[in-house]
Amino acid sequence: MLAIETKDLTKRYKDKTAVNGINLKINQGELFALLGTNGAGKTTTIKMLSTLIIPTDGQIKINGSDIEKDRQKIKKILNVSPQETAIAPNLSVKENLEFMAGVYQIRNKKEKTDELIKSFNLDQVLNQKAKTLSGGWQRKVSIAISLINEPEILFLDEPTLGLDVIARKELWSVIEKLKGKVTIILTTHYMEEAEHLSDRIGIMAKGNLIATGTSRELIEKTGAENFEDAFVKIATGGEL
Amino acid sequence: MRTLNFAKRNFKEISRDPLSLIFAVILPLFLLFIFQQFDIPNESYKLENFTPGIVIFGFSFITMFTAMLISKDRTTSLLIRLGVSPMRPMEYILGYMLSIVPVILVQNILFFILAIILGLEFSINIIFSIGLSVVIAILFIAAGIIIGSISSEKASSGISSILVQLVCFTSGMYFPREILGKFFGTLCEYLPFESCLAILKGVMNNNTESIEMRNIIIFLIYTVVLLAVSVIVFKRKMVSDNN
Ligand SMILES: Nc1ncnc2c1ncn2[C@@H]1O[C@H](COP(=O)(O)OP(=O)(O)OP(=O)(O)O)[C@@H](O)[C@H]1O
Ligand SMILES: [Mg+2]
Repeated sequence: MLAIETKDLTKRYKDKTAVNGINLKINQGELFALLGTNGAGKTTTIKMLSTLIIPTDGQIKINGSDIEKDRQKIKKILNVSPQETAIAPNLSVKENLEFMAGVYQIRNKKEKTDELIKSFNLDQVLNQKAKTLSGGWQRKVSIAISLINEPEILFLDEPTLGLDVIARKELWSVIEKLKGKVTIILTTHYMEEAEHLSDRIGIMAKGNLIATGTSRELIEKTGAENFEDAFVKIATGGEL
Repeated sequence: MRTLNFAKRNFKEISRDPLSLIFAVILPLFLLFIFQQFDIPNESYKLENFTPGIVIFGFSFITMFTAMLISKDRTTSLLIRLGVSPMRPMEYILGYMLSIVPVILVQNILFFILAIILGLEFSINIIFSIGLSVVIAILFIAAGIIIGSISSEKASSGISSILVQLVCFTSGMYFPREILGKFFGTLCEYLPFESCLAILKGVMNNNTESIEMRNIIIFLIYTVVLLAVSVIVFKRKMVSDNN
């Protein structure tokens, strides 16, 4: 079954079309990287797919259910790590995890938070107020929180932005462990990240989904030397 | 349960950023103390009248307080995260309300302790009026939710301070309506603050005959309408802020 299916998905703001009729099919357990230049419409697409904003036009099916009709049910099985770090500033890291566990009504709260503390190495900052953490640590906490409800579908909007090399590699390994079990939609501006992690890649430009395929397919299609060059060719329409 | 969970988080946020909290408690306490130091020959300033006035005045800061809490939340991407979660608008609203109840109780208890030290006679009615004030506070919290939902963090403190002024002038806590002139006199009648004070005063002084039917009706209408509007406005904003 498809985890995500969209039909002519569109979002318009006044006279700006942020997302222009995109058709996506993402399989269950697949890691799909959504690439594109600044303002291409990646975040807007994720916001629509994750129930946060309502499309102007088009349809979204999550696990076969219509996002409009089964909104409440769908909300329970997905989660997002937003592009901007999203944590409660005056709560400690531990309290943040517990708070979100409460929001999702997690039953095995203690187990789940302990597990996340372990896989993200949060021990050392556990009792620190979130707003006093460094940017990278806030980001890690924000990502850890998004796994609290063991989502079937996970949206990661530029998860590794601001992370140091080691933290990035650690996050990669967390993501790799989720691969196959969780459907992941990830946006990034780091080409090697998309290439390394993803099963398939979609490239957006000016609100349109202009190419999809594996990194290898996209390289072949453009006749480029490497994936970065392939991306540049596709995203600029071959002008560069 | 989700409501309680959210209320708990709000309460932590509030108590760890205590500046506005201090405002909502210290300023009214200060006024209560200062005005008892002068012997003002006016009924309004007798402790049994002025203390409930201070409670209502303190509630206008609750409006400010709620408005700032919500407008601040709206600026953080935490609301994105919560917007994706299964929380429902009503759970947010109740969660905000519940988290403010402890603040109201702290206010009330401190006000009455000071009033008793200054010479107010303790009676069981004081306990009743503390309970009643939690109900009256709903009106003020709802007003805060509306202000916090429609304005930015900066603007919401400004708009709320208008409400603080209105409470001063139209509740009758400082000035009897007779000396206010025609315009403010009429305003007193149609705004809920005079009624809130009349109800609270009546209960606290075991003088319920002084509460007019008009007071109760006005209070109820305002509470129900503001509550309904707050739910609608918050719900709308919750979607449109993210749109
Ligand atoms: N609320 C909004 N109102 C008006 N325009 C918006 C709104 N949100 C996004 N846009 C516009 O929609 C377009 C797509 O934005 P979006 O945030 O989806 O891009 P993105 O691909 O995530 O970019 P980035 O890589 O910089 O994060 C942009 O031109 C943006 O200005
Ligand atoms: Mg983006």
